[in-house]
Amino acid sequence: MPREYTVGRRSLLKAVGGAAAASTLAGCAAEPEDDGSGGGDGGGGNGNNVLTYARGNDSGTLDPQNTTSGEDVKVTNQIYDQLVMFKPGETSLRAGLAIDYNLEGTTTTLKLREGVTFHDGEEFTADDVIATYRRFVDPEYEHYPGDDYVSAYGPFTLGNWVEDVTKDGDYAVTVQLKQKYAPFLRNLAMFAASILSKKAIEEKGTKLKSEPVGTGAFSFEGWDQSNQRIRLSANGDYWGDAPKVDEVVFTAVGDNTSRAQTLDSGGADVIDGIGAQAAKVVENSSEAKLVEAKGINVGYMAFNMAKVEAFRDKRVRQAISHAVDTKAIVETVFKGIAERASQPIPSNVMGYNENLDPYPRDVEKAKQLLSEAGYEDGFSFELATFKNPRAYNPSPLQAAQTVKSNLDEIGIDVSINQQSFNPFLDYTDSGKHDACFLGWMTDNGDPDNFYYSLLHPGVSVEDVPEGQDWVGFDTEGFNTLDVAAWANTEFMKTVEEAQTTYETGAREQKYRRAAEIAHEEAPWVFIDHAKELRGVGNRVSGFTLAPIGGPFLNRVELR
Amino acid sequence: MVSKRFVLKRLLLLVPVLFGVATFVFAILHLSPGDPARVIAGQRATAEQVALVRAELGLNDPIWVQYARFLGDLVTLNLGDSYIVRKGTPVLRVLRARLPVTLELAIYGQFIGILLGIPLGLVSAVKQDSLTDHLTRVGALAGISVPIFWSGPLLILLFAQSLDLLPATGRIASAYDVPVVTGLITVDTLVLGVSAGDFAPFRSAVSHMLLPAAVIGVYSMALISRMMRSSMLEVVRQDYMRTARAKGQGAKITVMKHGFRNAMIPVVTVIGIQFGTLLGGAVLTETVFGIGGIGTLLVRAIEVGDYPLVQGTVLVFALLFTVVNLGVDVTYSYLDPRIDQ
Repeated sequence: MPREYTVGRRSLLKAVGGAAAASTLAGCAAEPEDDGSGGGDGGGGNGNNVLTYARGNDSGTLDPQNTTSGEDVKVTNQIYDQLVMFKPGETSLRAGLAIDYNLEGTTTTLKLREGVTFHDGEEFTADDVIATYRRFVDPEYEHYPGDDYVSAYGPFTLGNWVEDVTKDGDYAVTVQLKQKYAPFLRNLAMFAASILSKKAIEEKGTKLKSEPVGTGAFSFEGWDQSNQRIRLSANGDYWGDAPKVDEVVFTAVGDNTSRAQTLDSGGADVIDGIGAQAAKVVENSSEAKLVEAKGINVGYMAFNMAKVEAFRDKRVRQAISHAVDTKAIVETVFKGIAERASQPIPSNVMGYNENLDPYPRDVEKAKQLLSEAGYEDGFSFELATFKNPRAYNPSPLQAAQTVKSNLDEIGIDVSINQQSFNPFLDYTDSGKHDACFLGWMTDNGDPDNFYYSLLHPGVSVEDVPEGQDWVGFDTEGFNTLDVAAWANTEFMKTVEEAQTTYETGAREQKYRRAAEIAHEEAPWVFIDHAKELRGVGNRVSGFTLAPIGGPFLNRVELR
Repeated sequence: MVSKRFVLKRLLLLVPVLFGVATFVFAILHLSPGDPARVIAGQRATAEQVALVRAELGLNDPIWVQYARFLGDLVTLNLGDSYIVRKGTPVLRVLRARLPVTLELAIYGQFIGILLGIPLGLVSAVKQDSLTDHLTRVGALAGISVPIFWSGPLLILLFAQSLDLLPATGRIASAYDVPVVTGLITVDTLVLGVSAGDFAPFRSAVSHMLLPAAVIGVYSMALISRMMRSSMLEVVRQDYMRTARAKGQGAKITVMKHGFRNAMIPVVTVIGIQFGTLLGGAVLTETVFGIGGIGTLLVRAIEVGDYPLVQGTVLVFALLFTVVNLGVDVTYSYLDPRIDQ
């Protein structure tokens, strides 16, 4: 054994002992001496002007064209502006980077704000709007970042509707649409339509996912990956409401309860992603309060009419709607952090039909409807559900079990198939489910974003076979989000007309009618609209809970 | 004494171990349901868009082609780019940021475990069947049995919410922006403190570390003290202990000089294995205390089907576990030279 490669065991023990002693000393020196670093410095404290926003996960990207995740959007909405923007806490629109916007026929004209600069000092002009558009949807553009980089929001928000974007001087832009499309201005207000800098697009390319350059109220300072922390600083030159805090730090705490505890102990100023248990912690806190608002979302159970023959009979769907105790699901299973749904949209979206009530629980009526439909002996189906909580369905498994026991009473045998969300989406996309839980959180607060996106099959009325109100998942051009495979031609015509009706009153009437049809035909069991909950520390003022377009942290002040 | 040959042999063994792990992870991921392309494209994407993403990622290729590509990349230390968790960022870079976080937590946890576990076990053994012994044993049992997702929030409730002594979650107050050098935040802030004379970030980092390290440490302490106790009990009954006492040596010196070192041998093994387990056990602690190490990273990657990131993280776990075990074996033979033969 060559001597030079060995170390004596005594010297090793000495070394280990020495290291241990050194660490002990370091540990002693490290004891917090005063409140300067103990309880007081939990996070945003210390009297400094740093707002800490804690959420469930860190961001995946900082490029609004590279994401479909709400977690990412919370940050990009601070850094970027849109041409048209949502009013804080409302669903109506206001001027953003365009001071004037107008949609007439198939032409949108936008007058751009002058004197706005990007965080890198470049001036904002029409060229940035065109570059932003082309980078998102035009594979011919030399700076197009690739199909696997740009998100599906490219076509969803712009590409499917826009024919061409042209400029008239530096501060006027015309967007030519392929067809009349009423929600278009709202699409311009979506996070995905955030305006990027042409110079940054050309120079940074896909690096924009970690080095964002926008015109927003806050500019990007750094992303500390090991602390899951994104640091933004106030943009002193912001064209809108100037930020009242110096810095915003987005941080991630995976566990809901710990996040609420962090808020209570002063380690965070604002938290989101609050479940029933975390809501209790915040409610009981003397350091923070629970803020809630109506969400713009819907949770439902969809019947796959393309697969299960029994579901093609309206009476069966109605019977199940009467049998499922949505009141118990919302109040007991979801612990009241949601309200019952009677139609696809919540009451804060245009066209809500207040004449419709949730299907009352009525087992006798359900049995009668089933027997009329020829299913008095019941039948069986599989209910597919995701396992992890989603905002619109905070306890999917318990909710599924409630459905199972409710339907057992009317002789229908339900088997529950639980999956993780992503395989689950795959499953429902390809129409493998008999029935499934699903839900939706709005993109732009427009009724079209619910009705057309979730209940229109995407095919034309002529392609729906005569006397049938469903189509197969394999139909050319089928919209896989229509997991009920529902294709009611009257409904389809109504939402198609509403999509091209610009006069608000007339448009609203069409959606009220669409709600009636959906309620009567029951392609879904309408379950709930979840509330939006935030925990806000006592030293925070000016925080508006915005279910869409936010959070508006530039308006927040720290006492 | 440890031979270079022994170490080399063990290092070479790493290759088949890692190959096996890589193959296993690859197989599990590709056999499990769910399409990462769907996750990347999102709920709003049409089937055509999903297909496009699949094609771009090469997920349409036959499984053996994907496997060969994966192994080929692995040999060149290319673990690919993250799909979703850190979109488009090389997995190695993500791991480099996250690994020190978990390591630091495990090191401090282990340190607390050793610091408390060994003396407790020792006292427990020397004063066998006394009240101290019983209390220690009950404490150890509780330490092993109490789950972290229960003790964690309780500790936060007590120390952060009620007493307001320590911060609840995270690694440092958000006011501080410390440049990453080693990635071990206590070290980085200490360096910053020494160089800039401002120790406030360091104090903040240490106060953030105390609760999670204690939670992990208590678990580790429990195992170590139990092992120390039984090992010591065995040693005190040895002939050489009696001889030492017979020739008039004091009880304290006998225990410390003759007993302790001999009793340490099995304890070192436990400490080593325990360190590996700590890395895995960090998942819960990291989640509860809002710390973004590789534990939470792995969970998130599995959740969203981020194949390259799952593969990379599991490989790093395997590598660490094997290396720590190698370290244990080496230490073991230092403590007892007979073992190496």
